[in-house]
Amino acid sequence: MKKIVLAEDNTTLSLLLKFRLEKEGYTLFMAKDGKEATELIEAHEPDLIITDIMMPFISGLEVISHVRIKLDMDTPIIVFSAAGQEEMVLKAFNLGANDFMGKPFSPNELVIRVKRLLTVVAIS
Amino acid sequence: MDTSTVKIILQILHFLFFGYAFLAIVSYIILSIISGKETLEYLKKNSFVHYKDILSSAMSPSITIIAPAYNESLNVVENVRSLLSNHYVNYNVIIVNDGSKDDSLERLIEAYDLEKIDYIVNDKIKTKPLRAGVFKSKNPAFEKLMVVDKENGGKADALNMGLNISKSKYVACIDVDCLLLEDALQKMIKPFLDETDTRVIAAGGVIRIANSCIIRGGKLIDVNLPKNLLVQSQILEYLRAFLLGRMAWSRLNGLLVISGAFGIFDKEIAIAVGGYDTNTVGEDMEIIVRMRRYMEEKNEKYRVSYIPDPLCWTEAPDSYKIFISQRNRWTRGTIETLKKHRKIGFNPKYGSFGMLSYPYWLIFERMAPIIEVIGLIYFAILVILQEVKWEYALSFLVLSYMFSVLFSIIAIYSEELTFHQYKKKGTGFKLVLLSALEPFLLHPFVLYAAIRGNFDYFFNKKKKWGNMVRKGLATT
Amino acid sequence: MINYQPLISHFKESPLLIQIAWVASCVLITAIILLSIYLKIMRYHLRKKEKENTQFKNEYEASLIEYLYSGDALGEMNATQESIIQKIKVSVPIKAKRKIIISVLYNLMNEVSGEMSDSIKLLYYKTGLIRYALERLESKRWHIIAKGIGELTRFKIDEVHHKVSKFVNHPRSEVRKETQLYLVSLFRFEGLSFLNNLTTPLSEWAQIQLLETLQKFDDQQICDIRPWLKSTNDSVVLFALKLAQIYNQFEVQDTLMELLSHPKKQIRITAIQVLTHLYGVEAKELLKANFNDLSLEEQICFFGMLEKLVMPTDEPFVEKYLFHKNFEIQLLALKILKSINIDKYMGLSQTATNEKDSSMIKLVNSL
Repeated sequence: MKKIVLAEDNTTLSLLLKFRLEKEGYTLFMAKDGKEATELIEAHEPDLIITDIMMPFISGLEVISHVRIKLDMDTPIIVFSAAGQEEMVLKAFNLGANDFMGKPFSPNELVIRVKRLLTVVAIS
Repeated sequence: MDTSTVKIILQILHFLFFGYAFLAIVSYIILSIISGKETLEYLKKNSFVHYKDILSSAMSPSITIIAPAYNESLNVVENVRSLLSNHYVNYNVIIVNDGSKDDSLERLIEAYDLEKIDYIVNDKIKTKPLRAGVFKSKNPAFEKLMVVDKENGGKADALNMGLNISKSKYVACIDVDCLLLEDALQKMIKPFLDETDTRVIAAGGVIRIANSCIIRGGKLIDVNLPKNLLVQSQILEYLRAFLLGRMAWSRLNGLLVISGAFGIFDKEIAIAVGGYDTNTVGEDMEIIVRMRRYMEEKNEKYRVSYIPDPLCWTEAPDSYKIFISQRNRWTRGTIETLKKHRKIGFNPKYGSFGMLSYPYWLIFERMAPIIEVIGLIYFAILVILQEVKWEYALSFLVLSYMFSVLFSIIAIYSEELTFHQYKKKGTGFKLVLLSALEPFLLHPFVLYAAIRGNFDYFFNKKKKWGNMVRKGLATT
Repeated sequence: MINYQPLISHFKESPLLIQIAWVASCVLITAIILLSIYLKIMRYHLRKKEKENTQFKNEYEASLIEYLYSGDALGEMNATQESIIQKIKVSVPIKAKRKIIISVLYNLMNEVSGEMSDSIKLLYYKTGLIRYALERLESKRWHIIAKGIGELTRFKIDEVHHKVSKFVNHPRSEVRKETQLYLVSLFRFEGLSFLNNLTTPLSEWAQIQLLETLQKFDDQQICDIRPWLKSTNDSVVLFALKLAQIYNQFEVQDTLMELLSHPKKQIRITAIQVLTHLYGVEAKELLKANFNDLSLEEQICFFGMLEKLVMPTDEPFVEKYLFHKNFEIQLLALKILKSINIDKYMGLSQTATNEKDSSMIKLVNSL
């Protein structure tokens, strides 16, 4: 079973996504902030990371840089961003994010992107 | 002199004491009523605001957080991290390392992957020169951070360096060891953007006491009432001062001081008045008075705003020694500021600033400890001469004590009804008990420190900054 | 038993002032005791309420998610969804619970789109929450009205447009702002038509929120902003300038040029910035010709423009300002010279007379 770490500080949204992704057969690890996310990533070595950019204490950007530079992992990363954060999204890509979704987004679309990223990895 | 003249003089003296006390009490009552009104208005105004909308906007105005650091090696890395995690898009952080003798700079370079960059400072305000230079991070995740290493020149000088370097429209000057909540910048910037015909030149916030609170990952996890009675008393004192005092002055547009721990300024005005004064120990009060004076003299409509939300948490002194030296410094700062801007006092040209705020500060803040001591000495003489009318003395002592207890309880109420930060069971009772004890636990020391401050100001000019020993916030 | 008699007679014989003092003390101590007791009760209730709220929120969040997932693609209601709606409906009339329901929905509405946001809106109708929002519009208190409008905006209830739009001239700026946001959130650029006859100032905060709302739409087809650039309301002009920049309105350059002589300095400066963004070469020539009549801020701003739009022919102009006393102008002038004539720039270091100038030249060189 594929493992996903999801970092998102809006509890309702993360609950919603958890249900949605579990229905697709993934195992979810939930983090409320960047710090929890990095801890979960180190502990579980997930197949995919989904993170919000704006998070308390350790931002999504730092999570990405932690994964790519400190941990040197090439786990696919999807970032969420709100409107007006285009600059942050660019930075996220520079740091090594694979995909991004602007809020508000449709959870179904997220599932499609998750599947795509996970299969691409499987082939390569 | 015959006895009747003496009697008349004494009568007048009694009246003056009585009048002063009476006016002080009336002013407290009036101020707390105004505060109540203003707080309600504030809560109403912001009950439907969605700060989240604005935080992500790249169109929001730029803010620079300027945090001077002097020998903060112990916590500087953690503290910077907390400053970098604010929920506002358009901001950056300048840490001014004010000639620290410890390894603060090395620690920052190591933790944030810093490298030296070429930089030339536009010294609109004269400051001490750069030492190691200006640093930025190689890691784009810390792009907001800039570290400036300069020669030691004191807090005001470090802040001025930050003002010179900042490219933002607004600057937030803070103590590096303060914990800023993540929505602090959005809430503090709102008054600047809300006004349409009045220029907001500065905004200050409530300072809350972080001792014994649990902070994890730059976030306030749990608010506790500390065990230390001195710190507890200060909590009560801050509640009174911020919730009942400053809120009212904000309504009257008469704020003379924004705590040096956290305040936002319109950079253009702050630079136009020449930045912080490096020759006073009360630079945080002095700059506000100077900025107000500047606006009054330019005859422009302006405001100094104030936000009652608990956004900034800091460590309060937990030993009497440090506490006294802190208050001693505050007293000297007040004296220096008021003296430097004497011209404003009772000068109708400065409107309510000159006719209300300044006189109030002079009479009820600056002079209060002196008058109290004179009163005590006078009372002692009467005791020695066995001239005390005990009935009067006792009844009024009880009355004023009751008043001060009630006033504290009202402050507790305004806290409970608004921000309700101390949620734990049993804390309410402790706070009430504290209201009864505080006049004995804190007030004598406040008075002593203020008198020491006066003494040092007039007779001990060389007195240096009181050293505030930082223990650092409890980080786990 | 203690005999109070002497105490009472003593009190009666005391001077008036002392009597007053004692009576006042007694009043105060009664107040202290009563308030302390009430504080205990109040804190107990606050704690209890908070606990209940968290519990209710968790419960409700779960059923909301169930509701959203049991829906099918067609948007038809099924039995599970109906029963969840019935369950929520019971809690809606209770104010505290209603507040929690709304806040949970709010949170989600902002983050999800498509079929899910439609189902949330449907839920909002079916549970009767909308009735309470509409009731708020009738309130006499301004902040209740503002709250009501804000809620209708969030849930995209465009059907009540006629009820909301009348508040666009409300005496309280907060209510006006919420109304403006409502109009723009639901009718996009068309909603901006309130700007045509807006007489009250539009605060910076309101402007940012409006722009933020506009940017959320996929359809970015903007209407003609010229009338707003010519508005007599300065804040509307400033807002239109922001629109011109964000939506790259090359076609309004002529109108922008007129604003360079606007009586208000802030508008003139912003106009220069927007023209810079839009490559206003004509504006550059005009400003260059009148450079000495500009205020210092405009001059600095103009050099910012020149940095972006410089051409070799500007060299003689720039050369005049290489040693300008203003830091920013000097810095920009040096940078510009370096970009158009590097040889001449390199020759500068010999001519620089004071230390400040030569360090500036060195710095610009290292950039």
